[in-house]
Amino acid sequence: METWRLVDVEYPDDPYRNMSVEEAIPRAVGEGQAPNTVRFWHNSNTIVLGCFQSAQLEVNFDVCEETGTTIVRRFTGGGAVYHDAGNLNYAISLKRGHPLVPDADLQTVFRRLSEGAVEGLRGLGVNAEFQPINDIQVDGKKVSGAAGSIRWGTVFHHGCILVASDLAILGMVLNVPQVKLADRHVASVQKRVTTIRDELGKDVTTRDVRDGIVRGIEHSYNVRLDQGSLTKSELSTAKELYDTKYSKSAWNLEK
Amino acid sequence: MTPGPLSADYKAPGGKLLRVRLREADGRIESAKISGDFFLIPEDSLPKLEMMLEDVPLREKELKLLVDRFFRGTGAQGLGVAPDDFVKAILSAKPLEAES
Repeated sequence: METWRLVDVEYPDDPYRNMSVEEAIPRAVGEGQAPNTVRFWHNSNTIVLGCFQSAQLEVNFDVCEETGTTIVRRFTGGGAVYHDAGNLNYAISLKRGHPLVPDADLQTVFRRLSEGAVEGLRGLGVNAEFQPINDIQVDGKKVSGAAGSIRWGTVFHHGCILVASDLAILGMVLNVPQVKLADRHVASVQKRVTTIRDELGKDVTTRDVRDGIVRGIEHSYNVRLDQGSLTKSELSTAKELYDTKYSKSAWNLEK
Repeated sequence: MTPGPLSADYKAPGGKLLRVRLREADGRIESAKISGDFFLIPEDSLPKLEMMLEDVPLREKELKLLVDRFFRGTGAQGLGVAPDDFVKAILSAKPLEAES
């Protein structure tokens, strides 16, 4: 059975460092400097913008300031998401050509690499299903969004799962364009998203969900996740990315 | 008088949002900024498209040719947006004041 590395490296109060690690891992995997890897992590309240999004158009800066919300841009496309301690992030980095996603196009990557999370959530009792393009839904409401890329010799997929997030803040920090709301025939962000806690009707921790997804990934892909840590080289890449990219407003805000 | 910027929020059918902000003069694009929640790999190809759009007539035929040339030339792969969506988004751009 194939073994993948499992890392829980996180800096919840430093979203820039979190994002630096998020990029350092797939770079190392593609270079053959690190094994295929699954990472779980959290941010305290943070908006994470997709790499093509305009901060000026998407972000409500006044509410961010009032609520102490940090803004960071990721290296993958897709839409803005709000992270807080009730939100669990997972990331999968597989060396390009991996049999799970051999001739990968992004839609196949999202579908295949969401399966572990979907199965993990189902194991917890949530009626989760993958919803193209890049969502996991429960009874028509979004509970997770994914993004990804095929880059640096790596197939990369990451997603965030609303476990017990504050949906009220989520609805305020982002400006959702009218054209998008109209298209989905719903009135607000809050009405088209849900949390695992609300779906289960009981308190559930991000740790419970993380453990469930570990099981879901192991079962879905017939792999074993082996707890590990980052290599010196990954930590050094992460530091460089932090210094030159993710701590800079030129990267985070100026698009 | 310099014409003001043109703007469009265009939702691709069943797909993602393209937000176009551009300046035009004499029927040609002076500069274009494209943002949104779509996927495009390689990610660093988008600035190339924005650059290629400069000085292109704001007409469907020319825009189609250019966007097709961009996708063929770069091998870029979109998800949630098709090449034609870029053309439609750009063509739907209107003066900011006219937006409701």
